[in-house]
This record gives sequence, C-alpha cells and structure tokens, in this order.
Amino acid sequence: MTQATETTTDTPLLQKWAELSLSRPFLLEVFVLSNLFFLILDVYLAHSFNDFAHWAEWIPVYFSIGGTAVLGFAIWQEYQRRTGQARWIGLAVGWASILVGLAGLVWHLEGWFFESVTLKSLVYSAPFVAPLAFAGLGCLLLLNRMEDPDSPVWGQWVSFLALGGFIGNFALSLIDHAQNAFFYWTEWIPVVVSALAVGLFGAIILRPPTRLVILVGYGVLLLQGATGLLGFGLHVAPLFHEGALERGLWDALRFGAPVFAPLLFVDLALLGALGLWDLHAKLADISN
Amino acid sequence: MELDSFKSVFIALTIAGALVVGAFFLQAQRPHVATEQPSAELVKATGKCASCHRRETPAIVEEYERSEHVQEGTNCLDCHQPQDGQESFEHRGFTLATSLTAKNCSQCHAEENRQFLRSRHAAPAWAAVQGSTDFTQEQIAFAEQYHEGAVARPANRLAQLEGEAAREVGCQGCHDIGKPNPDGSIGSCTQCHGRHEASVELAREPRTCGQCHMGPDHAQIEIFEESKHGVLFETNGDEYNMDAEPEELTVRDMPSPTCATCHMSGQGGLAVTHNVSKRLSWYLFAPVSEKRPNYAANQAAMKRACNNCHTAEHTNEYYDDAESVVRATNEKVNNYMNIVDSLRAEGHLTPTPFDEPLEFEIFDYWHYYGRTAKHGAFMGGPDYVQWHGNYELLARFVHLKEKAKELRSHDPSD
Repeated sequence: MTQATETTTDTPLLQKWAELSLSRPFLLEVFVLSNLFFLILDVYLAHSFNDFAHWAEWIPVYFSIGGTAVLGFAIWQEYQRRTGQARWIGLAVGWASILVGLAGLVWHLEGWFFESVTLKSLVYSAPFVAPLAFAGLGCLLLLNRMEDPDSPVWGQWVSFLALGGFIGNFALSLIDHAQNAFFYWTEWIPVVVSALAVGLFGAIILRPPTRLVILVGYGVLLLQGATGLLGFGLHVAPLFHEGALERGLWDALRFGAPVFAPLLFVDLALLGALGLWDLHAKLADISN
Repeated sequence: MELDSFKSVFIALTIAGALVVGAFFLQAQRPHVATEQPSAELVKATGKCASCHRRETPAIVEEYERSEHVQEGTNCLDCHQPQDGQESFEHRGFTLATSLTAKNCSQCHAEENRQFLRSRHAAPAWAAVQGSTDFTQEQIAFAEQYHEGAVARPANRLAQLEGEAAREVGCQGCHDIGKPNPDGSIGSCTQCHGRHEASVELAREPRTCGQCHMGPDHAQIEIFEESKHGVLFETNGDEYNMDAEPEELTVRDMPSPTCATCHMSGQGGLAVTHNVSKRLSWYLFAPVSEKRPNYAANQAAMKRACNNCHTAEHTNEYYDDAESVVRATNEKVNNYMNIVDSLRAEGHLTPTPFDEPLEFEIFDYWHYYGRTAKHGAFMGGPDYVQWHGNYELLARFVHLKEKAKELRSHDPSD
C-alpha cells in the first residue's frame, strides 16, 4: 500500500480519502477485508449444515471475525500513515489466512475420501476447494505488502490470484452441481462461464496481454458478474416456493441450495477487474 | 485481430474448451444411479446422506453399500421418503418418513407384500398376542378370509397376565412382524431382510427364521439343526449361493435347503411366495391339529418342493409317517384334555386361566411337547419326536392321572 504514503500529511481529509479510495492497492485491501467479513456468515452457514460436528469447523469462523477486526484496524492505521504497523499486521493476517485455508483443504477432503479415492467420494465430500478462499485472501494481503504497486507485476499477480479463484469457481460449480447430477441444464452455465474465465486469465498470465485481450477480459468479467447474479436468483428462488420456509428461514438457508455461493462469481469478477485495470493502466510497461 | 491477440484468445478458448469437455466427460463417467433419478432431491440423496452417516452411523452405510439395492440403483430417499399416511420430519434439507413400514418396501415389492398379507406372518401374528383391537374392520375381514378366527379374537390371556413390560419387550419382539402400522400397512419387512442390507441372503439364513421360531413352543430352528438338512447346511453352507434369485434357485445353488427354500422359494417350477402358510397342510400349532382348508393344494406344493431332491415315493412315505405322528399326538392331547375337562367339570380346577399350578402343565402339554412332536415329525427331527415330544407326553399324561386321583380324593369345595 505504498501509494497511500505518497500523499502528504497536510492534505485535506476528504481529498486524502478520495485519493486513497481510488488507489488500486487500497481497493485490494478493502476487497480482502469485505471478503473476510462475509466469510463469517458464509462459513457459519456452511458448517451449520452438520451442526459444527468437528471442533475445527469453528476455526474459520473465529479467524474470519478476528481477521476482519485486525485487518480493519490495519487499514485504519494505513490511513493514519502508520504504514509500518499496518504492514506487519497485514503480513500476519495473510500468513494465518493461508494456514487456515490449507488446513481447511485437508480437513475437507476427509479421511474417507482417501480411503476410497473415487469420483463419488469426491463429489460428495465437503467442498475441498472452498477453504482455499482463505489462502487466496492471504496471498492477496502478502502480495499487497511485498510487491511494488507501481510495477507492472502487481496487476499480473492480482490477475494470477483471480485466476486461482476462477479455477476454484470452476471446481466448486462442477462438484456442487454434480451432487444433483446437473438436474437443471442451467447448472452447466457457471461451469462453462468459469471455464471461460480460467482460459482467458490463463492466457493473460501466459502471454503479455494486448489491449484487445484486456477488453475481451472485461467482457468475460461482465459475464461472470451476470452469471453470479443469475445464480443468486436461481438459488434464492426455492425459498419462495410454497412450504419452503415451514421449518424457518435458517433451516431453508442451511439445507437448501447455497444462496451466497453464486455471488463468488461477482466477487471474483471485481478482483479480476482490479487486475485488468492495473494491467490496462500499465499496458505500455508490460508490452516492453 | 492482431496476431498476439489472436494467440491469446486461442489459448484462452483452448483452456476453456478443455475444461468444459473434461467436465462433461467426468459427468458421463458417473454411474447411472448417481445421475438418473426423477428428482434433484433423489439424485442428491444418492451420496449426500452417506457423507454424514458414514461418520455418524457408519454401519448402516456399510450395510446399504453391500446390499442388492445399491446394484439396482436404489438410494436412501427411495425408501425413506414419506408415503401416504406416514408422519414425516425435516432432516438436512430432506423430508423423511419418521418410521418405515412395509408400505415403503411395497413401492417396489408390491407383489411380495400382497403375498405376505395373506400369510400368518401378517395380521394373525400380531393378533395372537394383542387380539383384534389394533386392526381396522377391513383388515380383520381381509385376514379372516384366509385365517378364520386368527384375527377376530381376544388378546392372549397369558400375555395379559405376564404384564405390559413382558409383552412389549418379549412377545412383541417376534409378533411385531404383523403389527398394524399407522399408515394402514401391516408389518415390517426388515424383520427378516435387515434394515439396510435388504438381503435375500439374510432372509434365507436359518438363523433369521430361528430368531422367533425357536424354544420349546416352536422349536423349528433346533429341529432343523438336528435334521439332515441342517447338518448338510452347517457343513457345506459356506459353499452355497445364498444370494441366488428365489425365482431361479436350483439345487446347484443350494444342494440342501434352508427354511426359505421349502417354504418360500421358487425351486422346481414352484412360484415364489412370501406367504409362508402357502405350503402348510396342517395347523400344527393347535392343541389338536386339523387339516388346513386348502390342505390338498398346500401339501401338493410342499411335496413338489421335496421332490426337487427326493423321489416322490420317499416324499409320500415321509408325509405318511409325519401325519401318523400328528394323528397320534392328537389322540394323546385329546385323552389328556378329556381328563382336564372332567376335573374342571367336577370343580377341581377353576374356570380362571393360569391361576393354578396344574394349568401350566396342561398348557405345556400341547403347547410345548405336542407341538414339538408334530414339528419334529414334519422337519426330520427324531429327537424332537421322541425325547422332547412323545416321552414328555407320556410322562406328563401319567403325572396328570396321578394328580387327578389326588384331586379327586379331596372335596373340591374344601
């Protein structure tokens, strides 16, 4: 977040805030913060499915709460120009987040998956990709502190991590929808759309992007966003069916289609857009 | 489009295409049971239930996965979804029947259920303890067509005297097989087939029948174990194909029979039946045995089963011998009961059942030793015909005569 430090301390407050808000590293911090905050609800909802049967299922909930608070404090410190403190707090949260994500991956694969490594056990295991969201957020925090935001590489790293998210989205939408065997054809939409995003961001990482490719990238991200909103609508719709709420909204949310899952498409579209924006802005540097 | 852009877009589309094709390929590799169901909920149940129950109640998942149901593509929800008249509850996003009955099984096994309802395993089994009070008029009328007096009857006096706890935990443990369910069905198929194994093999195991058909009042499992059939099964049973389809069973699958082979299976052109009364010619359980209404047809069916392995001459001789034991036992029980009736008429026994020690001996006479002799004769158990049957009948007859003398030496009004 070194861009923020370029502003002088006697700049008016509103101007300071405006400058900071428009800086991509700051937006990346806000992205991570909002994601950590949202994961409190998302993980709590997901683990409520089996009533937190294993004690470790509380770890990501507590971590999200603590991480949100600490990272929020770090961003505030950054705003106050206490960059040194903010840097170390961010690094600590970042590493911890990676640890939580990797541990979650192992736990989600569960013992019985390793006993019978079959397509069936994979489909019906806990979503093993999901905890990597923590690892991805951790990597973003590390990136923002270890890479110069003015270098052309910053945008490439953001795009690379967005690519990781799109791969996760592909795996999650494929496996989650495989559980009911793609009963509705619309369940293939997120698989195809996320595959498209993986392909495009894969190409962007593999080759220096041209202006045209970046413009196509924006288009693909718009498609991601639209898919997310459509998915959210389709996942929420069953709540309005007659009798769906007989056991209460909480049970309907826990045991129905995961209502928030499609919003990950919107979320990652925003992250991808941040990466593309940076690459777009530094296109000449990248080409050289 | 400039070349660099084209290359990038080409790479992007190649990666995306490969992923989508890979996804379709993986989906196509999945077994049809995991993908072809009439509702999304049923498809989901194929593996979703196991993902928790493998951890929480692993034995039922293991049993289910070994069952024929898995091969046939039946999933948890197929059996556990509520039927008409069943209470339900919400569980992890699924609506499930609170308890399963024969109605759930008869979704697919309607004919087996139809046959079962005509057997003494159905309503008569429950009525033998509880009487007719738990049945609807329609159920009583239906069962009475096939087993007159077996359901329209009062509750069992002995069971009433033993008390509710003994009745519920004891008697009903076996007689539940014909319990009327709130959904209008009768019984629970899992009594013989196991809850999650749903196994033909299990139902064919002699020990399964022996869970209830054992002990002094109906010692079928002990008699079977003593018989040549039982000894052969004990010796060679490990080599038998106990999973063979009942309709296609041959002596190559099971060279010697278990209970189900003779009483239910379709060997030798016989139709498979879940009506275990279908091949029985006598009411052997009665104090004085009579021929069943369809005596000839039932006997012919059982003889046909015997003739799969034995000559008709052997079978006929065997039947003649067994029936001679039945007639001799009837005579012995009649002689015994004549003395009992006289004692009662003379006032030496009260009309109240089971209030005097002698009445337990009277009950044991036909209920234990009379039945044992008759069952032993029909099932190839000589020791049961002799020492557990006729010896006891003789000894207890002598004892009764002595007891009658003693009772008659006193004025009954004293």
